[in-house]
Amino acid sequence: MASHSAAVVTERYTRSAQLAVVTIAAAWHLAMDLPATIGNLDRFRSPGAVVAAWAIFGAVGALGTVRLLRARPGPAWPLLALLVAADAMVLAAAPPDLFFTAANWAWGALGWFVMIVLWHRPIRDFLAVLAVNAGLSLGAVLAAGGGNRVDLGRWAMVVYGTGALQLALKAGAEALNTAAAQAAESATALAAVDAERAAAAELHRARGERYRSIRAAAGAVLADLAEGRGDPADPQLRRRCTLEASRLRRLIAEADDVPDPLLHELRACADLAERRGVVVDLVSVGQLPDLPVAVRRALAEPLAQVLAATRTGARVAVAGTADTVAVSVVADGDVTVLAPAEAAGVTVTCQDEGGRLWVETRWRRG
Amino acid sequence: MGGDAVASRVRVGIVDDHPVVVEGVRSWLSGDDRLEVVAAGDDVDAVVAAGVDVLLLDLNLHGRLVLDRIADLSAAGQRIVVYSQHTEPEVVLAVVDSGAVAYLSKDEGREHCVSTVVAAAADRPYVAPTLAGAFIGDRRNQRPLLSDKEREALLLWFQSMNKASVARRMGISEHTVKQYVDRARVKYARIGRPAPTKAALLARAIEDRLVRADEIGEYRSHAAG
Repeated sequence: MASHSAAVVTERYTRSAQLAVVTIAAAWHLAMDLPATIGNLDRFRSPGAVVAAWAIFGAVGALGTVRLLRARPGPAWPLLALLVAADAMVLAAAPPDLFFTAANWAWGALGWFVMIVLWHRPIRDFLAVLAVNAGLSLGAVLAAGGGNRVDLGRWAMVVYGTGALQLALKAGAEALNTAAAQAAESATALAAVDAERAAAAELHRARGERYRSIRAAAGAVLADLAEGRGDPADPQLRRRCTLEASRLRRLIAEADDVPDPLLHELRACADLAERRGVVVDLVSVGQLPDLPVAVRRALAEPLAQVLAATRTGARVAVAGTADTVAVSVVADGDVTVLAPAEAAGVTVTCQDEGGRLWVETRWRRG
Repeated sequence: MGGDAVASRVRVGIVDDHPVVVEGVRSWLSGDDRLEVVAAGDDVDAVVAAGVDVLLLDLNLHGRLVLDRIADLSAAGQRIVVYSQHTEPEVVLAVVDSGAVAYLSKDEGREHCVSTVVAAAADRPYVAPTLAGAFIGDRRNQRPLLSDKEREALLLWFQSMNKASVARRMGISEHTVKQYVDRARVKYARIGRPAPTKAALLARAIEDRLVRADEIGEYRSHAAG
């Protein structure tokens, strides 16, 4: 639940940042790259290559945008290869005198398009493509004989410009993401606390009711004894005492605020047995991990069978750690435990101890 | 000590604020001629003043958990066996950390009371199933590292009816089961606040060759290791 609501909030922030990148890239491509291409057609070494490169950038940008906004990322490298190839085509087509002008548009525009394609990838992938761009453009500068300090300085400025804004936008988007996720998580945590509090209050109410019922029943036994109506030697009366004592003990032993589903199931079995007059002790130690329903059923089912066949008394013990749960019952009764359908990682062990039966189910995290 | 059988009996004190419980415990102990109840009542100081080898103490006295008294008396060397209706590991472990030598839940009394008091008087460990369960359920960082066999013996003992059953399940002797369980108890004497009662338990464990002296320093806690 936490991850779900956090996802809803962060998605809204992410979507805005994505729209910003897409809008900037489209505006840049139409308002800057297109006039630069058309206005210099007669001066490029191969005008066709530059027009083709403009079309490739446009197509890759469009496909990348569709993938990004529909959250269906496809393989990035073919698109990157196309972009880098188109980048190289424009660099090769620009004559030396146009090299550091708007006419040589591709290496400056590349950053926004790569950002669209690599939105969901780590920043280092983005930086790697920019490094390739920087290498290609440096090669072009040197090939055109522009190895002097001024040209290298200009080159560095353009390279810086290809990534700085994009990185700032991405970093801002991620900071917003993190803040939004944290806000959503604390809201969810608060909701979980509220739910737990409500469950605890409900449990408290139910226990109060049980206590009143046990108190009335135990009180009746004690009153019978005190007023001489009951004979302490009477087996029937002794049995009533034992039963009420065990019900009280079980109530006291329930220290959990929010009941674990496995304990809840076992207590229900114990209650059923108790209604037949069977004395059941139920003790639990450790923290029970969240278990799949099938595992929980496999752990509880043999115990339920034993408790259903118990004659007079049973002790149920539950022990949990992060990776194991052992549920056991020692009871007097005659029952052949039918091992349940093999659930992931649950083993059943039975040991007959001369009239008393010891059955244990144990789960280990696989 | 003298050769007189009566003089060498273990002097036991019982503290509980319910007279009927005091009588019940007294009747459990009276069947064993190694033990002698010399004082009982609801006032800890009065019972301790009678000079007892082992104090059987109800954890909940007059509506209050008397953990602080357990710590004080243990620090003064008084061996205390605590019994209570509480079975939550946190409570049981807090009692053991305070220096009590053993812990019994009230429904374990009949079966384990005499053995526990006899063991306590000799500074030997006695782990009733509730205490075994508390060790298994221990999630604190400073809990000692137990071996797999020790954990298994504690778990089965916590679940089971007797050590013979545990021995059969583990395919080892009853004596070895007791050793595993007792070794776990001795490891717990190394953590929490130091007390003469814990030191006595460790010293006796070495004497009995339950642990070796050089092992004692090696017991790492979970936090350390």
